[in-house]
Amino acid sequence: MGAVMSLGTGPATSERDFRLDFFRGIALFCIFIDHVDWNSILTQFTLRSLGFSDAAEVFILISGYTAGMVYGRAIEHRGLLRAVMRIYHRVWQLYVAHVFLFMQFMATVAYLVDDLNNSIYAEEFRAADFLKEPGVAVIKALTLQFQPNFMDILPLYIVLLAALPFVLVGFRLWQAGILATSFGLWGAVQLNKHIALAAYPGPDEVWFFNPFAWQALFFLGAWCGWRGLTGGVPWLTNRWLFRLAVVGALAAFLVRLSWTLHWLYDPFPALFGKALWPLLSKTNLSLWRFANVLMLAFLAARLISPQAQFLTSRAAWPFVLCGRHSLHIFCLGILLSTIGRLIINEFLGGVFLQCLIAVAGIAIMIGTAALMEWFKAEQSPSRPQVLQTSMTERGV
Amino acid sequence: MNMAGTFLHRTLRLLAAAGIGLLLLPETALAQEQDCAVPTSFYETEPTLPKTTAAITSGKTMVIVVIGGASSLGQAAGSPDLAWPARFALALTSRFPAARVTVNNRAVARQTTQEMASRLDREVIALKPMLVIWETGTTDAVRGTDLDEFRQTIQAGIDRLRASETEMVFMDMQFSRHTHAVINFDRYESVLREVTDANDVPLFRRLDIMHHWAESGLFNLMTTDPARLHHVASRLYDCIGRAMADFVTRGISAGTDIPGKSSGSTK
Repeated sequence: MGAVMSLGTGPATSERDFRLDFFRGIALFCIFIDHVDWNSILTQFTLRSLGFSDAAEVFILISGYTAGMVYGRAIEHRGLLRAVMRIYHRVWQLYVAHVFLFMQFMATVAYLVDDLNNSIYAEEFRAADFLKEPGVAVIKALTLQFQPNFMDILPLYIVLLAALPFVLVGFRLWQAGILATSFGLWGAVQLNKHIALAAYPGPDEVWFFNPFAWQALFFLGAWCGWRGLTGGVPWLTNRWLFRLAVVGALAAFLVRLSWTLHWLYDPFPALFGKALWPLLSKTNLSLWRFANVLMLAFLAARLISPQAQFLTSRAAWPFVLCGRHSLHIFCLGILLSTIGRLIINEFLGGVFLQCLIAVAGIAIMIGTAALMEWFKAEQSPSRPQVLQTSMTERGV
Repeated sequence: MNMAGTFLHRTLRLLAAAGIGLLLLPETALAQEQDCAVPTSFYETEPTLPKTTAAITSGKTMVIVVIGGASSLGQAAGSPDLAWPARFALALTSRFPAARVTVNNRAVARQTTQEMASRLDREVIALKPMLVIWETGTTDAVRGTDLDEFRQTIQAGIDRLRASETEMVFMDMQFSRHTHAVINFDRYESVLREVTDANDVPLFRRLDIMHHWAESGLFNLMTTDPARLHHVASRLYDCIGRAMADFVTRGISAGTDIPGKSSGSTK
């Protein structure tokens, strides 16, 4: 999406694009709120209320864009080997984070298992294979096949980033071919949903985020980020494309709004609900979700300038801050949402408690990001103005 | 933990359980008199069942089949007579003595929706039911069934039952504080709501109803004391059965003069 912004300015894109951090920060907060209770009233105000896509699409698209830009630049300036090493270093960090989240999940299970086995739910809960064979569950978590309780987006991110070096090299050799392959694979998944990765316990379970479908969004973002380094994508300025995006995004928003009103007040009709609900597969990133997030990203890139005053204002600061430390804040968000769910269930919380948990959780996320920012500045005295450091110094 | 520690732990637990049991005795007696009525807001917007209600009021012989999982089988209560389908049948006949209803419980513990759907023809439709109550979603959430497949299976099930001119009610998961901490039910719950909504099929929202009861302090669903477990489960299933009787008989006009009919959920 940022490819659009560099149209006027030419190849000079060394300045940090705060929009990326800002919107990624928003996505992180939304992911947290959606995870605490997917069916709570608060989730009607997260990114998913804007249309058919939700925070996951925004997160993956921005991550792809940033990765393409940062590592694409690293290849140019520091050589392929160094860039590839940096990518796999990042993959390793993500993997460790995934294992950490799994430990936290198993700890929660271990804490509750006694009570569960002696409850009226014992018979139902016995279907959980990870209790029958915890050893297998651990191995399957290490191989990314066991993805309980929202531990599904990091495995996706890990495999996408691991494939990135090949794609970036591919862009340099034959970008049209790479993009066509990427979209072709996505299209194949739409036609045949058996193109998927197996998940534990099997045999019919698959990864919640199908990497063969989601790669198209990530690598399209990476391509835009990579193209941004060398002048952007000219045809993205097309007036008709802009008009199409406005009409499309607005239509999706209105349809989605009717669904929200329908859930709140049943007699209100859910426009096209019967026809569209089966077509909104998140697992396989259906066309509707894909198109919708691209339109939203396109509009955001066109309507908000990377130099917009607002992005450096005090109000935007918490979002930018969290977006910048996205890996840590994402993991923290997963942890906090689990705790939030425990609290809500323990106290049978209503809307008030849900709001309280959302506010407290977001405050902790911002506080942690601020601490990390401060610590980072402390550690690098040569760069007192951390805000101005280029993104190449940071992870993605 | 060493042997002594284990022993101490167990003894303490036993003592605590005994103490709690004693303390709870008077409260239990009180609680039993409490009414587990469900506010009509939990189901007033759901579609009604014209054929079933007509059969109930006219005293026509009819079969209701329940297909579901462990919580419909009712093992936690200790006997099939205490499971909610049996209590539902009792509530129906006590409220509508003229009704000639047989409730067949075809629940099997720990089956996915797909496994239940594969039993539809042979075990459910073969009985020529007028109404099928399909309790599902739990095992799929526990095992992590592909959401799209879950949706398609339910849609195919609805189409199959519609083709055999059977009325149906779907029932969602149980509410539980602890399982919700480690299992993601929300996504499956959303799909159930969407599919039933899109097909104009009534959904009995057990999750919300049980949450409501837990909130109003009607049940201690968290009990782990084996002695109280059967008791809590059978009370819960009785309340679910009576709420289901309310749910199924919605639309029978208050003016209809049927002996034994009551508006609340009292027996």
